[in-house]
Amino acid sequence: MSALLLEDVEFTYPGASAPALRHCSFNAAGGAVTWLTGALGSGTSTALLVAAGLAPRHTGGNRRGTVRTLGLDPGTPLAGPALGGRVALVLPTPATQLSGIAETVAQEVAFAPANLGWPCERIHEGVARALASLGISHLAARDPGTLSGGEMQRTVIAAMLVLEPELWLLDEPTSALDAAGRMLVHGLLRSEAARGAAVVIASEDTDGLSAVADRLVVFAGGRPACDGTPESILRGDGVWEAGAASTTIAGLSRAARGAAPRPLTVAEGVARWTR
Amino acid sequence: MTLPPGALAARAHPFTPLVLTLSVALVALAAPGPEAAAFLYAATVLAVLAAGVGRAALRALVPLAPLWLFLFLLHGVLGDGERLVVAGLSFSRGGLLLAATQAARLGAIATASLALYASFSPSRFVDAVAERGWPFSASYLVVATLLALPRFRARAVAILEAQRSRGLRLRGNPMNRVRAIGPVTFPLLLGALAEVDERGFALETRCASGVARRTPLEPLRDTVADRGVRWLAGAGAAAAIAWRVFA
Repeated sequence: MSALLLEDVEFTYPGASAPALRHCSFNAAGGAVTWLTGALGSGTSTALLVAAGLAPRHTGGNRRGTVRTLGLDPGTPLAGPALGGRVALVLPTPATQLSGIAETVAQEVAFAPANLGWPCERIHEGVARALASLGISHLAARDPGTLSGGEMQRTVIAAMLVLEPELWLLDEPTSALDAAGRMLVHGLLRSEAARGAAVVIASEDTDGLSAVADRLVVFAGGRPACDGTPESILRGDGVWEAGAASTTIAGLSRAARGAAPRPLTVAEGVARWTR
Repeated sequence: MTLPPGALAARAHPFTPLVLTLSVALVALAAPGPEAAAFLYAATVLAVLAAGVGRAALRALVPLAPLWLFLFLLHGVLGDGERLVVAGLSFSRGGLLLAATQAARLGAIATASLALYASFSPSRFVDAVAERGWPFSASYLVVATLLALPRFRARAVAILEAQRSRGLRLRGNPMNRVRAIGPVTFPLLLGALAEVDERGFALETRCASGVARRTPLEPLRDTVADRGVRWLAGAGAAAAIAWRVFA
């Protein structure tokens, strides 16, 4: 069974004249990293909100079609508590993802487990492990409000990691991170998939996704336009035709009127262009 | 909160300063005359000093000084009734007493409130509420509101600086200042609204809604002394209000 299933979903935000998702169908399985990409407004972020149940429960609006998140319809009021702690959602702006009441990073990471009523010892152990996984153990006593953007983003991810969720929904999870931070988070998400969790990442950044994602879904006009392995999609023209972008090197190749299949990495580009 | 580790305010149970502050406010309102109000103000300042948050008494003087001056002018100078002449200046006797009473009441309330703010630890308060099994939403509202104030101020300063660097003129004639209101307040309000939305998403995902019984992260000591002080303060406030109403 898929950890996440959207079938012919249409979603319209309140006051919007056109739906943000239309006839949108895709699934995500446990043990795999699924990467969603697309041009601005293509619907990837909305798909994550719908999957988490926040759209329409929090955003308002109309949803049609079938959504199953860990076997439940997340749009129903009872799904919130039932999915609590099992679904991790990371949004692009780290500062707004903080609880707003923690005095230290450790308390910030402990926020959700404490809300779930975990025993104190389990919370402290989980927090220490999550902080270490994100390389921020040294920030445990810092006020979250004084962190840099990258540190804050790591803290927000640690605050989800501590829950050991079954489904990860991440919207631009590395937007504030440097190259080392991106590699760390990507490695972490791969190990989460190896643990059996389903990982869904929405990001416009396609450089380096081949090393992380098992599957790439390119959105256009509120629904998937291409779906396959990252290699096959990024080397071809479909991703460009959908209004999205492939890797920087593939973009260079395209600008130079190179034919598909295109190189994806610097090494491949150098090998091709110095032949 | 940056208090000396050994300070009484840092060791007290989070509910104790809260109850004391509320009691001071109620007793201040019930204080019948300048002597009682001045005694309460003095006692509050001494208590605040003993608790290790003496700076609050000094900080309270900043908003209090103009208020005291205003009360003196309104009641002491412009008040009617029997006049008192000092150094050639005429004052209202009753007005001066009323101004002194109001000034001492405000002094006690402001000092206690600022001391509470200075000693308030959000996490300890949330833990205390969780230990009682009271709804998490109530403690979240109190704590998030208190912590939001400095963050809101910091964002206002950042927007102000950003707009100034883009050529907004904030000084000079009054028209410049009026024109600056929009470019400063709209981003501030829109940003706050967007943040409320996203924070709502984050809190929902982090299981903040429908919390049955939150785990307190650090065990709190509610000593006999804490409980005794709270009961005494509460009883004192109730007695003062009852005396004021029925006497």
